Amino acid sequence: MKRTKIRKIFAVVLLMPLLVLGNTAHAGEPAKVIVAWYDLILELVRHTPTYSPPVASRAFAYLGVATHEAIASGRADGESLAGQINGLTALPRRESGKAYDDAVVVYAAVSLTTQNFFGNTGPTGERAMKAMLRKQEKELFQGVAPDVIERSKAYGAVIAGHVLSWSESDGGAVIENMGFPLQYDLIEGKSHWVPTSAIQQQQAPLLPNWGKNRTFAMPSRSSCPLPPPPEYSEEPTSQFYLEAKDVYDTSKSLTEEQEVIARFWSDDPMMSPTPPGHWIYIALRLLEDERADAARAADVLARLGIAIADGFIGCWDSKYQYDLLRPITYIRRTMDPKWNTLLITPPFPEYPSGHSSQSGAAEVVMASLFGESFAFVDATHERDGIKPRKFASFRAAAEEAAISRLYGGIHFRAAIERGLEQGRCIGKHAAALKTKR
Amino acid sequence: MVVRHISAFALLCGTLVVETANAAEPSALFAEETSASGLEAVFTGEWEYMVGGGTAVFDCDGDQKPDAYLAGGESKARLFRNVSARGGALRFEAVESGLEVDKVLGAYPINIDGDEHPDVMVLRQGENLLMRGLGQCRFVRANEEWGFEGGDAWSTAFAATWEKGASWPTLAIGNYIDRNEEISPWGSCTDNWLHRPNSNEARVFAKPLALMPSFCPLAMMFSDWNRSGTPSLRVTNDRQYYEGGREQLWRVDPLKPPSLYDENEGWQYLRVWGMGIASADLDFDSYPEYALTSMADNKLQTLGEAKAGDPPKPNFKDIAFAKGVTAHRPYIGDDLRPSTAWHIQFEDVNNDGRVDLFIAKGNVAEMPDFAMKDPNNLLLQHEDGRFLEFGDKAGVDSVEQSRGGALVDFNLDGKVDLLVVNRASRAQVWRNTTEAPGHWLAFKLQQDGPNRDAIGAWLEIQRNEKIMGRELTVGGGHASGQLTWWHVGLGVATQAKFRVRWPDGAVDDWQDLQADQFYVVERGKSAKQWLQE
Repeated sequence: MKRTKIRKIFAVVLLMPLLVLGNTAHAGEPAKVIVAWYDLILELVRHTPTYSPPVASRAFAYLGVATHEAIASGRADGESLAGQINGLTALPRRESGKAYDDAVVVYAAVSLTTQNFFGNTGPTGERAMKAMLRKQEKELFQGVAPDVIERSKAYGAVIAGHVLSWSESDGGAVIENMGFPLQYDLIEGKSHWVPTSAIQQQQAPLLPNWGKNRTFAMPSRSSCPLPPPPEYSEEPTSQFYLEAKDVYDTSKSLTEEQEVIARFWSDDPMMSPTPPGHWIYIALRLLEDERADAARAADVLARLGIAIADGFIGCWDSKYQYDLLRPITYIRRTMDPKWNTLLITPPFPEYPSGHSSQSGAAEVVMASLFGESFAFVDATHERDGIKPRKFASFRAAAEEAAISRLYGGIHFRAAIERGLEQGRCIGKHAAALKTKR
Repeated sequence: MVVRHISAFALLCGTLVVETANAAEPSALFAEETSASGLEAVFTGEWEYMVGGGTAVFDCDGDQKPDAYLAGGESKARLFRNVSARGGALRFEAVESGLEVDKVLGAYPINIDGDEHPDVMVLRQGENLLMRGLGQCRFVRANEEWGFEGGDAWSTAFAATWEKGASWPTLAIGNYIDRNEEISPWGSCTDNWLHRPNSNEARVFAKPLALMPSFCPLAMMFSDWNRSGTPSLRVTNDRQYYEGGREQLWRVDPLKPPSLYDENEGWQYLRVWGMGIASADLDFDSYPEYALTSMADNKLQTLGEAKAGDPPKPNFKDIAFAKGVTAHRPYIGDDLRPSTAWHIQFEDVNNDGRVDLFIAKGNVAEMPDFAMKDPNNLLLQHEDGRFLEFGDKAGVDSVEQSRGGALVDFNLDGKVDLLVVNRASRAQVWRNTTEAPGHWLAFKLQQDGPNRDAIGAWLEIQRNEKIMGRELTVGGGHASGQLTWWHVGLGVATQAKFRVRWPDGAVDDWQDLQADQFYVVERGKSAKQWLQE
């Protein structure tokens, strides 16, 4: 009923100006299509075994670009990202003078991109995507002229095809063995990473070549470099030892609030939408709160996805440049052989912190889109029984995400602080993208 | 059935201890006899049958040979009578039994009413069934007679116990996803149920109690993990579908509501794609180790350290990697994608005195990141306690989409054979043809009263300075259970000291038994050798 009323209003008031752009009117609904798919995508990220955080970040970047291009192509003030982000060539335009339905265009673009990225999700995810397709087609196609539906679907498919074709050459398209190399030679030396898990698959580190992937808005993987971590030493007065002691002492005096923070930002793969999905979830709920239109939603999701994806590429480049051991390895070696961490230590090198880098990048983009002092409530894990947390700003949230890794015992402070700074540097590139003319 | 009393006099004098076969590398050999076996059954169905596919193995006709009931998914389940000659090829005949129902995911034999005929718990998509055994492989629905509410769920796990003082069993049923949720089935785990005896009426169940929170289990078992005399309910949950979930251990004390162990009591936070569970006391400390199947990894848990004199805490630690049982990817062929593991069972397949580990493997359906040609594992335990893969050499490395299974001595030759239920292809059966295996014993326990088969008892075999224990359980595996001879390998020992710890805590005196025999152990009496007529 509500939808019909909106249509009628637009038929009378807005039809003419939009026809100039060759559009029919579905104001508000393309945004709902986007949010509905993204909510499903968050589930797919959580429940698709290859979706480690870097892999998830990549999907969010391409999905964001596809969403933005689908929407921006129908707007006079829309600016394509082609030519602004690495390797993305000009996308085909809509046919001049022909009517399109934006909701159907974005439905086609996002659903096809999603089906492609999550073609490996397994039977339940496949079933869910098919159910979503059925539901949306039933809702979106009602009352829309068949030729408009076909044209819009076809155009959405063209957008999806262009983006997917572009994605295949970035270095991250193929994930084998859930991202763990079947063969890997550990680097010798006391400062270097060694496996910390008793899981056989994780005796090699996750995605050692991810830092070589093509970046999106960041010019290159090394555009935001880091200084080396403190020099490895087992000398109790050394900076390295003191940082490890900081992790150890923190774990021994952990407050209830610090434990809550550690678990809130733990964002474990398969048990959560991952750290990238955490920020996407925040964005989705804020977009819903402000009743954002599709252009706004697409802008936010594209920039955020790009920032986070670049954040992981930059971070991973540094991780494998320095190949630093984890606190659990060092602390057991030098301080307490029985020490354990609150959080599960991720199976890859320590420096810098991935959550810190990507949260720093997300912070910059979100602040640029919503404001530096934008307060919000983060309920990402509410369905998992974890209470929402309030933040005074995106900066505050990013800083809490970063320090959570110290509380969890999985990162030294240098990796956290410098990871945040690296991420903020990376995020500026996504924030600088032009999405409107 | 012919039963012969064994007197201590008849046994040889000397040291009656179990010695493991040593020096030689462990070995095992199986011959697949599927095509001639007469066992024709396929577990069929799409999404709603992506899990399950179990078998219940038990003696339905009183001939002491284990028969097999196989879940059919969308097809009707079938019961096969075991007509194998002793020591001969494995042969089965389908029988009309009353168990031919569709939507069956798994089944467990259990003697609910304490008569001489085993009954069957049938787990289904939809209403679960308790089928009362009538003898001669005939069964009749007993839901109403026993006050059992079958419910309407996607039931995937089962375990049973007899709580202290109860004259009727307590049944735990694990339920999976809300199958009506299409777009967002994740987080839709439906309630597990605990069916306890009705306190107001004999021989019927009370209304089921919801075991909340429930996290989509694919296996559960009652096991006395701390040897307190009261089994707890260990539940392994599929992390693919729960939100805020984890592995669970329920304290189920008589006449009290069940309660979960938590971190304050030592229970460790663990989240896996829990799909199967098996237990065995691998280190002879009298406490069971637990093996859990999952995807890309499997777990083997042992109790963590406890302060001297303190009661054990459920602070299990994972020793799968150290023991070599991660079985995380195929070991044959060129498909190196991670594995998907289902039924799991400890048995001593070569009778060397060390239990071995079988794992059924198979892709969920079309999960392209996981192996499609995923061979079943047979991990033989070596003298140092490590397990090494032997599935291909033993000839059980099937790459069908395996689900449930049973390691059982079908032809009563003292060597456990293998039955595996496959999704979308015919169930397979292998006869154990291991040459020069070690010695063995097999037992059936009997006691008067409701818990006729003495579920919850411990068989104990003296082994040098140690006691090799085996807990009798109903539950575990993957949708598969058995109620038949309990098998124990003895290695080179030709005799063994044996006793039973009965479910109520009573302990028999040690008895000296000759190896390579089947024994019926009635409570309070000497073990009686069973000889086939």
